[in-house]
Amino acid sequence: MDKLLEVKDLKVSYHTYAGEVQSVRGVSFDVNEGEAVAIVGESGCGKSVTSKSIMGLIKTPPGEIKKGSEILYKGRNILDFTQKEWSEYRGNEVSIIFQDALASLNPTMTVGKQIVENLMMHRSMSKKEAFEEAVRLLKLVGIPNAEERVNQYPHEYSGGMRQRAMIAIAYACQPNLLIADEPTTALDVTIQAQIMDLIKDLQKKMNTAVILITHDLGVVANIASRIVVMYSGKIVERGFRDDIFYRPKHPYTCALLKAVPRLDLSNKQKLASIEGTPPDLISPPKGCPFCTRCEYCMDICCEQAPMTTHFEDGHEAACWLHHPLAPKDNLPFKTEECK
Amino acid sequence: MLKYTARRFLEMIFTLFIIATGTFFLLAAVPGDALAERAEHLPEKVRVNLYARYGLDKPVMERYFITMNGMLHGNFGESVIFEGETVSDIVKTKGPVSARLGIQQMALGITLGLALGIVAAMKKGTWVDYSIVCLSILLISIPHLIFGILLQRVFAGELHWFPTIGWPKGDLWEVWFGGWKYTILPTLTGCFVYIANYARLLKTSMLDVMNQEYILTAESKGLSKWQVMRRHILRNSFIPVVTNLPMSIAMCITGSYFIEKIFAIPGFGKYYVEAIGGRDVCIVMGQTVITAAIYIAVVFLTDILYTLVDPRIRIRGGKK
Repeated sequence: MDKLLEVKDLKVSYHTYAGEVQSVRGVSFDVNEGEAVAIVGESGCGKSVTSKSIMGLIKTPPGEIKKGSEILYKGRNILDFTQKEWSEYRGNEVSIIFQDALASLNPTMTVGKQIVENLMMHRSMSKKEAFEEAVRLLKLVGIPNAEERVNQYPHEYSGGMRQRAMIAIAYACQPNLLIADEPTTALDVTIQAQIMDLIKDLQKKMNTAVILITHDLGVVANIASRIVVMYSGKIVERGFRDDIFYRPKHPYTCALLKAVPRLDLSNKQKLASIEGTPPDLISPPKGCPFCTRCEYCMDICCEQAPMTTHFEDGHEAACWLHHPLAPKDNLPFKTEECK
Repeated sequence: MLKYTARRFLEMIFTLFIIATGTFFLLAAVPGDALAERAEHLPEKVRVNLYARYGLDKPVMERYFITMNGMLHGNFGESVIFEGETVSDIVKTKGPVSARLGIQQMALGITLGLALGIVAAMKKGTWVDYSIVCLSILLISIPHLIFGILLQRVFAGELHWFPTIGWPKGDLWEVWFGGWKYTILPTLTGCFVYIANYARLLKTSMLDVMNQEYILTAESKGLSKWQVMRRHILRNSFIPVVTNLPMSIAMCITGSYFIEKIFAIPGFGKYYVEAIGGRDVCIVMGQTVITAAIYIAVVFLTDILYTLVDPRIRIRGGKK
């Protein structure tokens, strides 16, 4: 499989009155063609900023993408794009759907026009053809009475339908990569499953790569082949889905997994939560960012950032517990598989 | 839609009735009357006659019914302090003058204001933005009579480009479209306040819209900056502007006392202010009711305009 997108050492900061907030602090990952990758992490860990960087939606100022960051799309660094190249890239090669579909759709424009706008931007279509295509797309994403619905405004749609309409806009020009930035967070659970099925379905049908951004590990289980776990602007663990779910190597991933509600546990068991809050990114800690909340914190954790330990199949984690000198008992995971 | 219009119309009649009644009794409650000063030193008999001539000798309730009855028939009565003039005369002769001045001020002011607002929002945080903000604060805080006198001095007194005072006279065509050299300075004087208000209003509204998520969606489609501006930002930013319009329109038609005074313009403004001072009931009543009627009508039109700008607002009873 070819690499479609490669993010290399991405660093993004926001300049605020309080100081420079280092939202993303050196993130690297890649996405193959047609592959679904999930970026998982709690609020404020930099996952949305990462996705906006890939779309070129970081406003400068106050945002700043640091020198040395690279985002390679089909081998070309998009951070060096000209205005014209951005126009051709956005919406055509890569598109994005956001969390709150009502806020992401223009309230004073019919849904049809918002789809047509995308089509006419990138395809040489007449208005009539574009409208027919919009109806076809709405049908594709499962909107009933598409012929009528195409002329309605977003407020006339239900929550799930709005997200479907967003997906129709995003898929209008058959992009190679879809970024789904918490696409189901604003929806209720039954609709969540439908939307995830739709995204999965379209990914298979059109061979679109998907970057799924979420804070909910339960959402990604079904769709992502690889998972990247982020914490306070850094990647703490990455690997194939099964490795992350069954053989997690970072205490943060373990804690996240414990926090997913499960049907097979008894009612009396309390849902686990992670105590404390993530560190302030204006002055990030010099050691491991998770050290203050980690059950297994050692002296070195707060002093020095952990190195990355590589396991089989590209599975890697940044944690001192994998160091040969670290204690090996009472850990949530086995460490001896270290290479 | 028809039902809605009919209901609004009935509401309008009712509102006007309340306004007229309120105005009448407020005026009646104020001590003194239109003739008090003039009749003070007149012989008793003459005074009684004078009061009878204007019907001011009757009890309050009777006068109220006479006034209301007259208004129902479109007759607002005769002025006391401007002898021999009726409200309809004043509306016919002075109305177009004030209306033209107001419309010119508003058209120029709002156009410039909106343009500056757009520029300020697009250049947010730069010196262009700051200069526009400073300018609008300046324009809004300096009273327009000072601008009027300044403009007169510079453009009329020293440069002799325009006449200092005066207004086009003559037939209807002349009154509405003639004598531009007379109207330019008063128009400029009055338009500053619109420039300031609308520039600030649109800028704030645009900045708000620019932070909305659907602008990110629009940008993520690969639209250019201008396409995003035209199709997504502007239309949504205009909603608060539409809300503000009826106020401006109603104000512009009723005229401005100071500007009309400075430039010796034969408009409404003078009559309104002097009629209140002189307790001239019929003029005050007439003007209040007419202004209120215009205002209500404009608000109604705005509500219709709203549905065009913002599809989320649909009138009840209309098509879904």
